[in-house]
Amino acid sequence: MLEIRGHARGGQGMVTAFEILAKIFSKLGNFQVQAFPAFGVERTGAPIQAFLRVAKKEILNRSNIYQPNLVVVFDESLLEQVPVFDGLRESGAVLINTERPVEAFAGLNRAAYTVPATRLSTDLGLGSKSLPIVNAAMIGALARIFEVSLEIVQQAIKENVPAKPEANMEAAAQALRSVSGPNGRNQYLIEALHAKPARATKKLEDLDFDIPAEITGLEAPSWSEPLSKNKTGNWRMITPTYDVRPAPCNSSCPAGTDVRGFVRLTSEKRFDEAYELINRFNPFPSICGRVCPNFCEQNCNRNELDRGLNIGAIERFLGDRAAAAAGEEPAEVRHEERVAIIGSGPAGLTAALRLCEKGYATTVFEALPYAGGMMRTGIPRFRLPDEVLGREIQRIEQRGVKIELNKKVSVESLAGRFEAIITATGSHIGSPLRIEGEEFARDGINFLREFKLDHDTDGLHKGQEVAIIGGGNTAIDVARTLLRLGAVPTIYYRRTIREMPAIPQEVKEALLEGVRIEFLSAPVALAPAGPAKVALTLIKMEMGEPDQSGRRRPIPVPGSEQIILVDRVIKAIGQRSDLFALGPQPVEPKQGYIELESGASVFCAGDMAWGGTVAEAIGSGNKVAEEVHAYLRGQPYHEEETLPEVVLPKDINYSYYLPMARHYNKLHHARSLAGDFSEVSKGMDEEEVVAETARCLHCGECFSCGNCYNFCPDAAIHVDEEGRLRIDYDYCKGCGICVQECPCSAMQFQLTEAVL
Amino acid sequence: MKKENSQNSITLEEPFLDSPRYPRHVQMVMKGNYAAAEAARLCRAGFIPAYPITPQTTIVERLSELVSEGKLDATYINMDSEHSVFAAAMGAAIGGERVFTATAGQGLFYAHEVLQAIAHFRLPMVVCNVGRPSIPWNIWSDQSDSLSQRDTGWIQFYGESSQEVLDTIIQAYMLTERVQIPVLVVLDAFYQSHTSENIWMPDQNLADRFLPPIQAGPMSIDMKQPKSFGGLLPPEYYNKMNYSFWKAMNQVEAIAEEIGIDFGAHFGRPYTNVEAVNIGPKTRLVLVTLSSITSTVRGVIRSYPEIGLLKLRLFKPFPREAVRRALAPLSQDAIIATVERNFLGDREGAIMQEMKRALYGLDYKMYDFFAGAGGKDVPPETIEKIIHRAFQHPEEANWVDVD
Amino acid sequence: MKPALEFLIKDEKVYSGALSCRGCGWSLLVRHLASILGEDTVYVAPASCFSIISGPYPLQELKANLVHTVFAAAPATATGVRAALDRQGKKDTTVVILAGDGGTFDIGLQALSGAAARNENILYIVNNNGAYMNTGIQSSTATPYGAVTTTNPGAGFKRVWPKDLMGIIAAHNLPYAATASLAFLDDLRKKVEKAKHTQGFRLLMIDGPCPPGHKTDPAMSIHIGRLAVETRLFPLFEIERQHYTINYRPVKNIPVEECMKHQGRFKQLFQPENRHMIEEVQAHTDQYWLRLEMLEGM
Repeated sequence: MLEIRGHARGGQGMVTAFEILAKIFSKLGNFQVQAFPAFGVERTGAPIQAFLRVAKKEILNRSNIYQPNLVVVFDESLLEQVPVFDGLRESGAVLINTERPVEAFAGLNRAAYTVPATRLSTDLGLGSKSLPIVNAAMIGALARIFEVSLEIVQQAIKENVPAKPEANMEAAAQALRSVSGPNGRNQYLIEALHAKPARATKKLEDLDFDIPAEITGLEAPSWSEPLSKNKTGNWRMITPTYDVRPAPCNSSCPAGTDVRGFVRLTSEKRFDEAYELINRFNPFPSICGRVCPNFCEQNCNRNELDRGLNIGAIERFLGDRAAAAAGEEPAEVRHEERVAIIGSGPAGLTAALRLCEKGYATTVFEALPYAGGMMRTGIPRFRLPDEVLGREIQRIEQRGVKIELNKKVSVESLAGRFEAIITATGSHIGSPLRIEGEEFARDGINFLREFKLDHDTDGLHKGQEVAIIGGGNTAIDVARTLLRLGAVPTIYYRRTIREMPAIPQEVKEALLEGVRIEFLSAPVALAPAGPAKVALTLIKMEMGEPDQSGRRRPIPVPGSEQIILVDRVIKAIGQRSDLFALGPQPVEPKQGYIELESGASVFCAGDMAWGGTVAEAIGSGNKVAEEVHAYLRGQPYHEEETLPEVVLPKDINYSYYLPMARHYNKLHHARSLAGDFSEVSKGMDEEEVVAETARCLHCGECFSCGNCYNFCPDAAIHVDEEGRLRIDYDYCKGCGICVQECPCSAMQFQLTEAVL
Repeated sequence: MKKENSQNSITLEEPFLDSPRYPRHVQMVMKGNYAAAEAARLCRAGFIPAYPITPQTTIVERLSELVSEGKLDATYINMDSEHSVFAAAMGAAIGGERVFTATAGQGLFYAHEVLQAIAHFRLPMVVCNVGRPSIPWNIWSDQSDSLSQRDTGWIQFYGESSQEVLDTIIQAYMLTERVQIPVLVVLDAFYQSHTSENIWMPDQNLADRFLPPIQAGPMSIDMKQPKSFGGLLPPEYYNKMNYSFWKAMNQVEAIAEEIGIDFGAHFGRPYTNVEAVNIGPKTRLVLVTLSSITSTVRGVIRSYPEIGLLKLRLFKPFPREAVRRALAPLSQDAIIATVERNFLGDREGAIMQEMKRALYGLDYKMYDFFAGAGGKDVPPETIEKIIHRAFQHPEEANWVDVD
Repeated sequence: MKPALEFLIKDEKVYSGALSCRGCGWSLLVRHLASILGEDTVYVAPASCFSIISGPYPLQELKANLVHTVFAAAPATATGVRAALDRQGKKDTTVVILAGDGGTFDIGLQALSGAAARNENILYIVNNNGAYMNTGIQSSTATPYGAVTTTNPGAGFKRVWPKDLMGIIAAHNLPYAATASLAFLDDLRKKVEKAKHTQGFRLLMIDGPCPPGHKTDPAMSIHIGRLAVETRLFPLFEIERQHYTINYRPVKNIPVEECMKHQGRFKQLFQPENRHMIEEVQAHTDQYWLRLEMLEGM
């Protein structure tokens, strides 16, 4: 008689598999068969057993199998949890569902066979990761050991498996071919199959059992030992874990700021720590909090629910709050190498600060009499007051960065004095309109600079009409500056408000202040008209098909030209860089190391390399500092590897977030704007800031909301000594509810080691 | 002669009229059902779930009266079925209360599932059953209901008179709370349940002195030490529970005997598990009986000195030792005839089955007589027919009065 | 956020290690119940999955007394337990029945009705997972219209409507009855709290997730439960005597099929020839909701 014992998990199909095997054996050689499960009360995933007896003669034993000829393990993880090989006969065999080679089981001193049934089955869509249904594959593997023909096996599967018969037949076929182990049929098992029962070989007087002197009874069926002695963790096939995934605010911040982190710290009123956290990425929180387009907020997953968080206001609050605190300590110089930075904009200053903090003596050369670059020259005071800018630059200087003003230098002029030079001179030259009469238009960025540094109003006086060409922040800033000078600005933009690159909030404020914007209107030509006026020819546009950038392309409407007479035309359609600092040879500026003919150690950052916002310039400065540091230390430099998947709206369980009104910055609206350059936005106070942080979804990071704990059916989640939620794997069955119900994708499923 | 005999059988004699023998008792005339209810009062039953069924109904009606009159401090609840009655009894017993109820016939059949549970939960309680069949409808005296529940694990007593029912219920509480096995006290429909007869009613103090308040057992709820009662008991433990039950059941016969003697010491009326009347070397025939038929047999055999009587009071567990002792004086060729007011769908009635089991290995001539089921009256003449038939080529099983 | 405030269970009153399937509603429900009801509680359980889940000898899940009883008569056993406790002065001890839908809608209905009509001071919890799951998914009178079970297999799926248990309960004029969902834990816990402090017979019917029985992904148990409420398949409401209160009004009109499509037991309804049955379920659901609203307005 052949005796097979199987070990599997509830739900894997072992009982069906043994029944099918019994049918196969019965059909094959008119064998007597007996297949049955050891019914426990355990549920899906719990270890179970099944038995199969096959014999030529009547089977006269209806008890469990304790000394099998063959042990079949349907789930490898059971090897560590259940004594599967107990009682296995000395010449017996084992068949294990595993990816491991047969050699791994040499220690058993039995004929061992392995088959990757889980992989084969899941590839064919049989069962799930959490519960692969491997019965057909295991039947195929057993067929190989007994050399049963595939045809017979497949026929039996077809007749007995109602669901997915084709996939199951294929699983059996693949498994049959994928078994590793001794070649050919297993002779021992075949002999057992045909062995005749022994007769009259035993003597009564040889019977010898211990008869217990006393039996321990059970007085009454009541009991009270804690159920926690039952470790249900061994039912688990898939393991949930806590995980940290990038939030869209973090990943979209060009400066790389840990937005989620500082928002969390702010919510806990740990303002100093929040400020320090920002500062590690961005030394200009007060500035960015005012002028950044807030990529973080634009990508905030809360936009799906109501509105993104007012992160700018939070950042501004933290920056302004830190300003009131004591200054910075100078960083210690630890390296001999000196670094020069040309340009004191956000990129140059950030790079200088980072290198200074790394222990380098750094000097920043600024052509103008003021530091700050575009922050100084291109952003009007009513958006960024001078003292805010001055304060954050001052903190950088306090750390040890030297700024030399009024020094227009080039790489050549600094050669030999510095081991590395970073050029970050920005893009301060307005782009041309490329239309007839171009020379009659003033450059917007130039206008802003002249006005800010020298109060040069370009002779404008009250009531004069100014046409501004463009749709970016410069156009808006020019228009709002003009309003304050008493002029009447009108912006002409060739697309619609939807395509306007300017910060929406700024556009909104400009409109509120009285700036007129003509959309779908493009300049065609300029010409002088009379002694002081300019004739601007405009053409109506209409939106066509999207172009390569995805934006709909504006198309001129033929015959819609119209001429207007204005006092001034200011163009603000983009900027380009002055490459003076890089020397006379034409070089294409790009982020990082620049190869020059001189062979000088020159790096490039900021607007001249890429970007166009303060945040991007800061990010560029951070990066170039890392590269320069690696270069000076003789280490290889590579940008950070690609991060794990960013948490997107599809990963958020919005059921757990209620709509909450966004907090808005308080705005200063003077009765008359004329001459009023005071800051428009007043930011938010502490109470509002903290309240706003409560709207954070905490994408990709556990915020101890307790869902995993509250929803765990197995009471398998607890809070550890450090106050973190943790999974007790002794009890976790791997249902996955915690992962599914985690509101913010801070948990994930991992296959258990055994399944991997 | 037959007429004379039947007159004899209803002549009231001692002990019923011997008042000095029962101090602190009051003599009354009372129906068996009321005696059962009064017994529950004397035992201070705390919980009484009730459901009406003929011929038991007057027991729960009387108890309802006793509770509403304030004569019994019990929680009395009108349940929705006998199944619920027994399930409620189970709950209150686990809650630690002394439980009493009564049922009959299909009520007991309906509760079968719960009877099993109560016994295997080892819960103490006493329940009265007034025997009757189920369907086809018949409300009259029949012991098939209780006898068919022999294997549920309950102890069973069969009372001969109202007095015996009352006294047995008191003893039954003593027993059930000592061995933690429930007890069914059976009386016959109408011949006992609705028969008014003399009874000595002990006073409450006497009962209290005999029966102490119920004590918490292993199956009682203790709010300080919470437990699971009766959840899943896997194969490796199930027989351990059975083993303990078996051991306890094996002691019941001796303990019941002891309680019967103690009861006599307290109340003046001693009881034994079985009663042997006129069983000696010269006895040619012993009639084996349960309940009310016993009295009739007592009357008949006064006229026949060669006929003896073996009354079974304790029926489950079957008092094997007492039966063997009682029959020991018999001669080799004596006949044992069992009078069955039951039919369990087998070759033999319940009494014969048990007697054969008890007398295994002994060589008695044993004949079974089916008489009186479904309320068929069993007058002295029927007893005489049985005696006659027992000596005239009896079959293994014989049907009397069915022609 | 102050995390600790969000943890609904402050003191775990169950031991881990429950013998429930992955994603089981029973064990989650009992965790929450136990945490609210505390140790001064006697649970009474008729046959159901919970008989097994709560632990075999010698183990027990609850840190309170648990009396297992026969399938048909948990309310009767609870009546006895209640009476005993009352007699011993333990009036504040809560007696709670933990029953499945089979033990409630079917075999236990008589005893339930009896105890309800007597207004026994008992809290009855029915975990309605819509079939006899403990015995392997056989139809009960709670099994939804259109569901497959092993006794309504394949093309023989269920074509009669489940009983309106809440309607039956309401007819008993009870102090408190309510439906609750594990996806709405705050609501559920409030109701358990309210029921705990109400005298008389109270009943809570919980929508019980059952991955093997509903043929669902265990991880989706709560998600599907939420959809059941959002689609109004399982409305959340309370009945106090004759007064109805709807506790949750879905903002969106999500069609029932959005909930049903996640459940393998309804797979066949999505075949073209059976689609009309989904519409019938929708109509029935809408009608039931309308009736609830009318009852609430009365």
